Amino acid sequence: MTSPILRIEDVHKSYGSLHVLKGVSLTVQPREVVVLVGPSGSGKSTLLRCINLLNPPTKGRIWLEDQEITAPGVNQDRVRQRIGMVFQEFNLFTHLTALGNVMIGLIKVRKMRKNEARDLAMFELERVGLADRAHYYPAQLSGGQKQRVAIARALGMDPHVMLFDEPTSALDPELTGEVLAVMQKLAGEGMTMIVVSHEMGFARQVANRVVFMEGGVVVEEGTPQHMFEQPTHERTRAFLRNIMQ
Amino acid sequence: MQDFIDLLNKVTPDLLRGTVVTLQIATISLVLGMIVGLPVGIGRVYGPVWLQRVLGAYVTLFQGTPLLIQLFMVYYGLPDIGITLGRLQAAFLTLGLNSAAYQAEYLRSALQAVSEGQMTAARAIGMSKWQAIQSVILPQAVRLALPAWSNEAVAMLKYTSVVFLIAVPDLMGQAKILASRYFAPIQIYLIVAVFYIALVGVAYLILTLIERRARIPGLTGDTT
Ligand SMILES: Nc1ncnc2c1ncn2[C@@H]1O[C@H](COP(=O)(O)OP(=O)(O)O)[C@@H](O)[C@H]1O
Ligand SMILES: [Mg+2]
Repeated sequence: MTSPILRIEDVHKSYGSLHVLKGVSLTVQPREVVVLVGPSGSGKSTLLRCINLLNPPTKGRIWLEDQEITAPGVNQDRVRQRIGMVFQEFNLFTHLTALGNVMIGLIKVRKMRKNEARDLAMFELERVGLADRAHYYPAQLSGGQKQRVAIARALGMDPHVMLFDEPTSALDPELTGEVLAVMQKLAGEGMTMIVVSHEMGFARQVANRVVFMEGGVVVEEGTPQHMFEQPTHERTRAFLRNIMQ
Repeated sequence: MQDFIDLLNKVTPDLLRGTVVTLQIATISLVLGMIVGLPVGIGRVYGPVWLQRVLGAYVTLFQGTPLLIQLFMVYYGLPDIGITLGRLQAAFLTLGLNSAAYQAEYLRSALQAVSEGQMTAARAIGMSKWQAIQSVILPQAVRLALPAWSNEAVAMLKYTSVVFLIAVPDLMGQAKILASRYFAPIQIYLIVAVFYIALVGVAYLILTLIERRARIPGLTGDTT
């Protein structure tokens, strides 16, 4: 048994009087792919934003490898650099080309020289199959291409864990395949991933574990097989039946 | 007609001298306005609350009072507290601080028009808040603010004309002197109007070129 890459312990998050996460614990092993499902408003996005400290938890502790990242005095920017994140709305930098989007973090955060950054950025764009779109601006790319650039941008930072928040929900159905294929390839290369997604085909094929959240708590988790075929909880059954129509 | 041409020949050298002064005041005030307006605009959006309040008061003060009163306060009022400025210095300072208030406001609304996701994505790759503002938010906001900024630059050419009231020999100042020297106010102010239109026209041309060069697909100020 290797030591976990990510350990989340009794994490709570409140916005004012709204108690969103009510004690979430989750342990992720290196190279593991965890698919996180649950109804809208159950706190999935909030959990991801707690993990990379975009919105630090109000209570509870999180370890990334052997560092407690919720400890006081931790350099949060450094932590975020090691945790890649991909958003539903892509959030590509509008004023930069695909190449520029990948390069900027390499230059500003990883302090690479321009030439070095360009080479690595081209390599990351090749990884997501978009080397030929390097000089296009986001507005000139399709949704699927934008999301692949966003993945390349995150990969450029050399993350130890990747978080995906509904990466295909904003895409036309015919464009989800290209993004899921890139994610599957990443998983195959051994990237540790937490994926919020209702793409059940992806979950079945790629996930090691499916976690069902509702009302700010983890209701049930298990292998895709367990979760899809014989979930313990009635609520898990009802939810999964519903999204698989 | 011959009279008019004679008049034109006589007044043109002085008006050209005035034009140089007008351009000088407009340029320096715009640059000063940018140097002050940029941090004011950023502070208005990203600063701590107390700073936002202070800067908001500054903007309200300069947007809420007539330019002429501002000019008189600086030129005639500041000496009372021991700061005496030359006419040109008073002109630069007043117009510069006034323009800074407007430029800060254009920048503020442009900064707010950049979607929240841009900041989130920048922080997510490990940028600090300041790095994100500098290399992600500001380059977009400046482009969004460019059309409004162009209008400000053109308006500045005309606002400068108030400085003749503290006897600065700008285009308007020369016009006033010449109008009384030749007893031909209508003709002279007509000629001066043409001078202003020419200045504004050239400014438009230059600004349009700048806007075109700065344009990025999916990022224009005209559409939002
Ligand atoms: N920044 C925020 N401020 C206040 N409430 C928020 C904020 N972000 C999320 N919430 C609330 O937290 C709850 C969970 O949201 P979210 O984590 O986005 O759920 P999910 O991603 O599972 O749909 C929702 O009720 C949402 O309105
Ligand atoms: Mg969500």
